[in-house]
Amino acid sequence: MSKEYFHSRLFTLVGPILIFAVLVCGGLLYASFGGSARDGLITQMLINAIIVLGIQIYVGNTGVLSFGHIGFGAIAGYAFAICAISPTRKNSQIPDAPFGLSGIDLTPFQSVLVSILLTVIVAFIIGLGLARSGARSGSVAATVITLALLFVVHEVAKNWIDLTRGGKTGLSFSPLGNATLQGRGWIYIALLFAIITARLFKETRLGRLAQAAREDDLAARAVGIDPAVQQMISLLLSVTLVSIGASLRVFELGSINPRLFFFKFTLLTLTMLIVGGRNSVTGAVVGVVIITAGSEFTRYLAGPSVDVAALDWILRSGLTDIFLGASMLGFMIFKPAGLLGDWELDKWLKKFLPEKTNAEAVKDRVENNQERSHQSLNVEGVVVDFGGFRALDRAEIRAGTDEVVGLIGPNGAGKTTLLNVITGVVDCSEGYLKINGKSIEGLQPHMIARAGLVRTFQNLRLFHLLSVRENIEVARLASPDANNRLETVAIEELLHITGLDELRNRRAGELDYGNARRLELARAAAANPVFLLLDEPTSGMSDHESEAMIHQVRSVASLIGAGVVVIDHDLNFITGICDRVYVLDQGRLISTGSPEEISLDEKVRAAYLGSS
Amino acid sequence: MNELIQQIVDGLGRGGIYALIALGIAVIFGVMHLVNFAHGELITVSAYSAYGLFQAGWNWWFIVPAVILIAGMTSVVIEFLAFRWVRGAPDFTMLMTSFGIHFVVQALFVMYVSANFRQFPRPDWIFNTVKIAGISFEVFDIAVIFFTLLTLIGTFWILQKTMFGISLRAAAEDFDAARLMGVRSDRIIRGAFALSGVLAGVAAVFWLMRSGQAGPTAGLTPMLKGVLAALIGGLGSLGGAVLGGVALGLVEVMLISRLPEGLVGLTDGIVFLLIAFLFVFRPQGFISVRRAERV
Repeated sequence: MSKEYFHSRLFTLVGPILIFAVLVCGGLLYASFGGSARDGLITQMLINAIIVLGIQIYVGNTGVLSFGHIGFGAIAGYAFAICAISPTRKNSQIPDAPFGLSGIDLTPFQSVLVSILLTVIVAFIIGLGLARSGARSGSVAATVITLALLFVVHEVAKNWIDLTRGGKTGLSFSPLGNATLQGRGWIYIALLFAIITARLFKETRLGRLAQAAREDDLAARAVGIDPAVQQMISLLLSVTLVSIGASLRVFELGSINPRLFFFKFTLLTLTMLIVGGRNSVTGAVVGVVIITAGSEFTRYLAGPSVDVAALDWILRSGLTDIFLGASMLGFMIFKPAGLLGDWELDKWLKKFLPEKTNAEAVKDRVENNQERSHQSLNVEGVVVDFGGFRALDRAEIRAGTDEVVGLIGPNGAGKTTLLNVITGVVDCSEGYLKINGKSIEGLQPHMIARAGLVRTFQNLRLFHLLSVRENIEVARLASPDANNRLETVAIEELLHITGLDELRNRRAGELDYGNARRLELARAAAANPVFLLLDEPTSGMSDHESEAMIHQVRSVASLIGAGVVVIDHDLNFITGICDRVYVLDQGRLISTGSPEEISLDEKVRAAYLGSS
Repeated sequence: MNELIQQIVDGLGRGGIYALIALGIAVIFGVMHLVNFAHGELITVSAYSAYGLFQAGWNWWFIVPAVILIAGMTSVVIEFLAFRWVRGAPDFTMLMTSFGIHFVVQALFVMYVSANFRQFPRPDWIFNTVKIAGISFEVFDIAVIFFTLLTLIGTFWILQKTMFGISLRAAAEDFDAARLMGVRSDRIIRGAFALSGVLAGVAAVFWLMRSGQAGPTAGLTPMLKGVLAALIGGLGSLGGAVLGGVALGLVEVMLISRLPEGLVGLTDGIVFLLIAFLFVFRPQGFISVRRAERV
């Protein structure tokens, strides 16, 4: 198992190494046919690739749009320049630098380390802020915070003349501002490191949890993922690569000024990332190549060497900017996932390898039917008000791990609200929520999931871009007792029970309704909860399917040894599966008992038929 | 005391412009759930229109209505060309689309006009001051406050009393429900863009009277201020956007007049920093619009 895991991880490296080889060989080949201008272009492209890969780690895995990464680049670039420029040169450029900085003398390598350290510290603080603001895929507050960083760094660089020599001249390594970086050795090393880091991170536990939160923040919390942790680590790793790239950029150019790391460069790098496909490492590199080639081509067209009078209206300076802006806009409108989506070279190559059969995996199967001691869920006296409307009025429910408990009631009775209270999505103004006597009131949804309560969603919240199998794996990874090694067996078993065996590689977003519901069940179970809370698991299913669901829910529950609380409208399903039923009406508990008892209860009939 | 009153009037003058921009951004956020980072392009377009019309020999009195009209139309055109295609797309796509428009418009002006700023004459009365109760005020500030109030009253009248306004508010509250009730989404969205464009046009007039120049990046600063003001107020809340704009204007004036000499250049940076802090602790802004997600 662990050997196999190791091999699969090793195979992932094939992609990055091939990409690196193609990129470098292609670049060298192109440069060999031209003069030093082409040489410089390739150098720049390789450095940009490092920075774009850095941004990919954050933007791709978390889905948070960051404009601040080039701001981090500016911090790193200045830190590097101030450390690496020789003291004599510094004395003539910034003699009044604070903290005696003009005196220090570090090698370029040491300077890169300093710049990474400084930038990571800043990123940590910004990351805390982002977490506090509730950053998630597409959240505006997060984007504005990063935008603010970009502007603040720019303003400081322009105005702190003692340190940066201001906006007009900037700092340079030599009087003529010549390039200082000799050869590309360091760039190659950094680039290979960047590709491998970005690619491997995507497959790590952290990376995959981050992607799950990117697809659906709430559903991720419901299986126990705290997106803030994933986002912070993505950010720090991402900023490390950006710092390396930015330092190389400054060193290669031999100078730095505030404009070097501002809006224009942000546009360039983001366009590269988006065109290739922000969720793909291969895509990020492809984007870098396409946009570099495109920019170069438009620059050539707009330059003096092409002179076609009839096309003069388009072949003029500014064409490159139009190309960049239009690429970004065009891809957002017509192909927002970019050219490659989340395609990866190594994943594609893997298809050509003989696939390991399931029989092998099932061979070393362990007895998974965990013998858990009896545990209990106690919910009492829950009151919830929405404005003036009392949605729940002293509602209660009790369940044990050895039973299936139903929660029914007419529309608007407060069933889902009660489930939302139990899972921490809605706060209650009064009431006790206890699991094994331990209070879970006021905990965040992901903490409640880790305490053992995992739910499904009435309106289906799967991680759309992830495959069926990955949806289940992510939940498994998020559970507190999971180690990095996936328990293939349990996952196979879940796939089998829910009949999703053959759809395992399908994207969750492509599933039909019934299969999506079954995947919700399997995903919740994979988080290994003490109680499974199912919100209308048969909604939209045919009679035949919902009958099968009775068996599926029971098998899943016994596989993980969990109790079940289920909301549903299908009375056949409820009577078929439940040991005990609670009936809610207008936020109040009106009856409880076995399905048979309930069906004879006058009050229940009245509530359903609307008479009193 | 006198100085404080002067500063408040100055801040209200600044804040009024921000409020108009922020209101336009909030209107669009309401119907589309889009934070329009391309809103500043309306001011860029206005600036070049004003410049062009000056070249053609017009004067401010005719340029003002022309600029407002052009801004409104540009807004509708941008919706038609770009935003129409990403309605209902994920937030990331919409954010990026608006930035894409921002960059394209900027590049078009670089390409077809010039990368350099172009100057045009400012009206001669804007530096005049009047004395009221012994305190001197800039005429310009008072004009801005007056016309901003007028525009706001007009806008809120439209929103409260006209059929269009009521549908727009309904759509802002719950877009799907409004559509099911027969509100024509196309018309509402187009109308919202027109309204937001006109508001940007009015703001542009004041902005340009003060700056007196047109450049490809002319809209960047007002856009950022507007977005920040809308965010401070709580996105989607129209009243909040106005308050956010006024608050931003006041804070800026207070900072400029109180910061030590060497730090005045950093005013924008400090404002950004303060706002970043605000989002860290109150990501939903001052007035939070409850947007309960159904689960």
